[in-house]
Amino acid sequence: MQTVIVNLRLFWQGTLLSYIALFNWLRPMTYLASKIVMPLAQVLFFTLLGTFATGKDTANFYIIGNAMQIAAVSGIYGVTMSIGGDRWNGTLPYLFGTPANRLVLFVGRAFLHIIDGMLGVVIAFLWGVILLGLDLSNTNLLALALTILITTYSTSGLGLLMGCLSLITLNVMFVNNTVYFALLLFSGANIPVQILPELLRAISFVLPLTRGIAAARMLITGATFREVVPLLTGEFIVGSLYVVLGFILFRWFEIQAKRRGSLETV
Amino acid sequence: MITQVRNSWRTIFMVAKMTLRQNVMDLFIIFTVLVQPMLIAILALAMLRDKGQEYILFVVVGSGMTGIWSSLLFISGNSINVERWSGTLESLVGMPTSLSVIVFGKNLANVGQSLLSMVVAYTLAVVIFDYDLTFNQPILFIISLLLTIIAFISFGLVIAPVFVMNPSVQRWQNAMEFPIYILCGFLFPIAMLPQWTTPISYLLTPYWAARALHGTSAGNAPLSQTLFAWGMMVFFSVIYFSIAARLFKFMLVKARTDATLDME
Repeated sequence: MQTVIVNLRLFWQGTLLSYIALFNWLRPMTYLASKIVMPLAQVLFFTLLGTFATGKDTANFYIIGNAMQIAAVSGIYGVTMSIGGDRWNGTLPYLFGTPANRLVLFVGRAFLHIIDGMLGVVIAFLWGVILLGLDLSNTNLLALALTILITTYSTSGLGLLMGCLSLITLNVMFVNNTVYFALLLFSGANIPVQILPELLRAISFVLPLTRGIAAARMLITGATFREVVPLLTGEFIVGSLYVVLGFILFRWFEIQAKRRGSLETV
Repeated sequence: MITQVRNSWRTIFMVAKMTLRQNVMDLFIIFTVLVQPMLIAILALAMLRDKGQEYILFVVVGSGMTGIWSSLLFISGNSINVERWSGTLESLVGMPTSLSVIVFGKNLANVGQSLLSMVVAYTLAVVIFDYDLTFNQPILFIISLLLTIIAFISFGLVIAPVFVMNPSVQRWQNAMEFPIYILCGFLFPIAMLPQWTTPISYLLTPYWAARALHGTSAGNAPLSQTLFAWGMMVFFSVIYFSIAARLFKFMLVKARTDATLDME
């Protein structure tokens, strides 16, 4: 019981402090820019491009796809910077010097970004409703909320894996930016997965977001929760696989860094 | 006077050369100039696949322009701040050469290298997507490209001191990328936007650059329209240069008075 309480405290403090540290550094203005304006700009750009290409009737396809894709802002960038921040700020040796439960430490870095990512997606949907006429009247909103939660979780899973890369490379922002744009391309946010060539469809299949976006589109067109359960289960499994892979890499990095004495290498 | 001009150009080319050498090794710049425009081109080519062959060139030029703007925003926008972060800003300001001449050289390199975005998009469309693309008015297109370089440099010279003097504006950098893509009609016409946004587009040199480049590449714009777009690019570039001159003067006086030259 004592261990559980200690781990819960560790989880909460780790999650809260890493989040506060990140946005104290970025300052509230950056937070507003990335949470309010950036989702609007991205949703508008791709919706306008999409409607220019295929007509106004398809606007919802792009609004939903890009609103869901906003989960990657927190999921990829936020989580990576929370994990990598320990290396850049020199706190990693202390972290690895503690007997703290590594899984709790690791997953804790993503927790608030999942909540934050959900907020970003909700704001993007609000922009869609207010400015672009997205109709949510036939939507099971609770099911949509669960879809957003699971999709943000799975995207953060990929972020945890990317975050581990930031412990072994200095060029993680290059990787992050590429992954972010690759998600725009392969997740079905802007291009229907069915029209992708077979090889690219296979990439799409192993990425987070793909099933979440599909589920959100179904729910908004009136599908029931039961109909999207298989998609949501798939999305959850994909996200969990990334968390497990990320944790294995995290542990491997710790062992290697201790063995080579490269913990403080930046 | 002639010696001064010659020295300024020598400085500009030396700075441009140094900047290019540094940029080649920077993965962030490689992403901005090569990878991101390529991914945007793939996205746009796939999204506009049913619009017909004539839109392919539009996508190539447009996605190339997204690379030029992103490069200007993130690289040229930080061209003064980078010196501050490296601790070299005081030395640059203390030199007899004007800081604006040095930043001009850096912007020349950044805008010049970002033209690679268009080359990447063109290569992608021809090699991977197997399109047969020809620029219908090649000479007019090249002239438009040269004017575009000047127009973007002038824009960059306005942005850099604004970012230095107003860190709160710089924090909006990430959010400023897509709005210019939208307002300048890089990948779709601005006629799709509400009418009240049109005057904003008219004030932006990238909009006139996009009009000139799209028109001359497709060959569907009458010469009078191209000449008008060139005229507007030159007109607004002159205005931007004069605003930039004042901003640089103000920034340096302020930084010296407040003794904040090396402070973020």
